[in-house]
Amino acid sequence: MIAQLLLTALLTFVLVYAWSAHRTVPIIGLLASGAALAGLYFVWVQEHATALAALVGIGRGSDLIVYIWVVISLLIMLNLHLKLRLQLDMITRLARAVAIDRAKESQREAVPRRKRRPVVLGRKAEAPPIDSQAKK
Amino acid sequence: MTGRIRNPWVVVAAYNEAPVVGSVVSGIRRAGYAVVVVDDGSGDRTGDVASLAGAVVVRHPINLGQGAALQTGIDYALEQRADALVTFDADGQHSPAAIPALLAAIEQPGIDFALGSRFLTGATANLPMSRRLLLSAALWFTRANTGLPVTDTHNGLRAMTARGARAISLRQNRMAHASEILHQIAQSRLRFVEVPVNIEYSAYSLGKGQRITDALTILIDLFARRLYR
Repeated sequence: MIAQLLLTALLTFVLVYAWSAHRTVPIIGLLASGAALAGLYFVWVQEHATALAALVGIGRGSDLIVYIWVVISLLIMLNLHLKLRLQLDMITRLARAVAIDRAKESQREAVPRRKRRPVVLGRKAEAPPIDSQAKK
Repeated sequence: MTGRIRNPWVVVAAYNEAPVVGSVVSGIRRAGYAVVVVDDGSGDRTGDVASLAGAVVVRHPINLGQGAALQTGIDYALEQRADALVTFDADGQHSPAAIPALLAAIEQPGIDFALGSRFLTGATANLPMSRRLLLSAALWFTRANTGLPVTDTHNGLRAMTARGARAISLRQNRMAHASEILHQIAQSRLRFVEVPVNIEYSAYSLGKGQRITDALTILIDLFARRLYR
């Protein structure tokens, strides 16, 4: 009974996790929900687990539940992998925005520099206007 | 630059290409085109060399991959009101002489993409047999996946109108972006043509190019991308 309650709690947690994953990775949400619901069913209707286990060539119903748990773990790992990819997407967008902003900034800085360039040789360069000095 | 294209930009994604990027940019500049080089977090002087050669340099703070760099260059060029964009490799295997033909192709009414093809002329030099087999497999996969009757895939030399560039949004950071572009072209229902181009493989460019093991990574990237939004 204790094992049943513990597995029920864990599988309920997986169901909640699957629901939250469904928004970003629908396939993981669907598969994890299916596996968790199957697990919950077999935890409480063990004779069906034993019958199905015998049918598919697994020794005991409890082994079937362990296998289901392994499948859920693999799905969670896949979900984590996909979440890392989503994070990389966000990092990419951030890095792109930073890179483009910096390039535009250096282009803007380069324009006044080019404007100041013409200086008559043999004459002292005139001081730049006060407002551009203030910007620096 | 005749016809309706007034402001074409060439986008070059570069990662640790300091030995060659200067001559690549100089060649493009001599041909009369504006160039944006996206320095993808290089550890060498790629950005500085490109800048000295006359390119606008956009620097990724970290290395993200060629696909990410191309999208950054496309975004930057569109912000500069580019009306046509050409993607061009940084390793020196493309020739600026191919650019006018690509631009001429997208000047035709209703055409938004011109894709360079190595296999339309058969004049591509020094293509090793292993690379040819790899490209054939990629071509078969791309045709099956996108339904586009292309003759070349993973060719970095291509041109697009501003409308075409806005229709694609690369989310494949690494090499799978070449397949992703074709997939997005197919989805956008915009029209494309293929233009024969010559690719000059050198020891340098072959050393930097894709290997057979990269094909597996590309397949994994493409599959994983379909699993999430």
